[in-house]
Amino acid sequence: MERNRFQRILSAAWPRFLAVGILLGIWQLLVVIGVQSPGQEPLPGPGDAIGEIGYLAHIGVLFPALFQTLERAAVGYVLALVLGTLVGLAVVRVPVLRAGIGSLLAGLQSLPSVVWVPIAAVFLAIGGQVEYAVYFVVIMGAFPSIAMGLMSAYDNVPPLTFSLARSMGARGPGYYRHFIFSAALPGYVAGMKQGWAFSWRSLMAAELIIGSTANAGLGQILDNGRSLTDLPEILAAMLMILIVGIAVNDVIFAPMERGLLRRRGLVPA
Amino acid sequence: MNVAFARRPAVLTVEADDAFVTLDGVTKVFGNGKRSTTALENVSLELNQGEFVCILGASGCGKSTLLSLIAGLDKVTSGTIHIADGRPAVMFQEPALLPWLTVRRNVELPMRIHGTDTDARNQRVNHLLSMVGLIDFADHRPHQLSGGMRQRCALARALAQESELLLMDEPFAALDALTRDQLHDDLNRIWQETGKTIIFVTHNVREAVRLGDRVVLMTPRPGRVAQMWDVEITRPRELDSFEVSGLAHEITMRLRAGAVSNGAE
Repeated sequence: MERNRFQRILSAAWPRFLAVGILLGIWQLLVVIGVQSPGQEPLPGPGDAIGEIGYLAHIGVLFPALFQTLERAAVGYVLALVLGTLVGLAVVRVPVLRAGIGSLLAGLQSLPSVVWVPIAAVFLAIGGQVEYAVYFVVIMGAFPSIAMGLMSAYDNVPPLTFSLARSMGARGPGYYRHFIFSAALPGYVAGMKQGWAFSWRSLMAAELIIGSTANAGLGQILDNGRSLTDLPEILAAMLMILIVGIAVNDVIFAPMERGLLRRRGLVPA
Repeated sequence: MNVAFARRPAVLTVEADDAFVTLDGVTKVFGNGKRSTTALENVSLELNQGEFVCILGASGCGKSTLLSLIAGLDKVTSGTIHIADGRPAVMFQEPALLPWLTVRRNVELPMRIHGTDTDARNQRVNHLLSMVGLIDFADHRPHQLSGGMRQRCALARALAQESELLLMDEPFAALDALTRDQLHDDLNRIWQETGKTIIFVTHNVREAVRLGDRVVLMTPRPGRVAQMWDVEITRPRELDSFEVSGLAHEITMRLRAGAVSNGAE
């Protein structure tokens, strides 16, 4: 049984290792053929970046920064989730809001999250409230796609589900719990997943630009690398940011979505 | 009042007081002004408790509209619908099972909504699942069932609603002939066991004759009742028995005539 489980994890994991291997291989190949910048700067290889990650861990910078960033990501995401869900529900329930806020949300969603950084930096970060500024950017970046996800999930509930609910005489909380929320759940989870991607991007934009020497996150390591023209540090930070993004998706969202769809017979078991 | 009964050959007259379901002059117009279409015109019908009535007609004759009016899913333009017993249970052409629930949970859903306590609920669900032959599939999910089993599950769920009136909108139309035949037998048995009043909409003449106590033929544009037949063939009936074929033939002839004269009297 244990062995089966191990084999299952292994068989699920190897395509990912292969993909990462190919990526690192291409990168190494570029280094080997001697790719340089126009200014004759040689490209650091994957070995340099991984070595730099080890060094950053060794001097006690990496893990505090990682945890700081993860904390901001988690708190910011949960706030965005709450706001996005409330806005989505309001838009779905109130026709007037749908007409007005619906298109506004689509506009907000297409707004690059860096656009929120200056106002956050000037209005909120002055006086040392860096965290407020960071959360503001994360929330503004992520909540529109969560709200939009909820809206389209609701719009995609089959009309027959509404007829069925009404023919059974379902009303109030039971109507939503047994029919509408459950029917809309896969679309909502897809919106949550997209919302995570947006909040992670927004967080990096915020950390990179707003900066804070006191509570440095991964974005500040990246910015630090740029300030010191330290290419291995930049690449190390980029690699860590990519790894966190992949890990959150693979550990949280992908299994959630897969389980949901499998139970409904929407993917082969 | 019973205009639509004029051409009915049989004797059965029903006093309004005894009727379980009464439709009186039901008219349904979609849209308004020049672009309006009259889906139903002056449809009057009475059903006794425990009666199995098949509403037969070609597509577009308003029979599904009539059903959704009776189900309370849509409002009449004029006329009245009176049902002696609360909200009717509905079975749609598609099973409309909730894909995230198991067979058991789908069947118990109406009871959950109306707050039936757990013991009574479990007992009743087991009974219904045995009745439709799905007790061994209680923990399966809809996507793991065949088309016929899905409709059995939908039937059990409709019965779980504990309504005396069951409305069925071409529930077997999408099934293959063998499965449909089996489900006809089962529905006939379940109807006899439970004593429900059933309104069954279909475009299949033999299906109507096989199942109904009464066949109500509707003609399209606007939808109205063209004629009714009392089916006095002993149950259980065979789809290709002499009697069923004979009456089906008679009704088919009337249906064709109606199609030519466009339902005019």
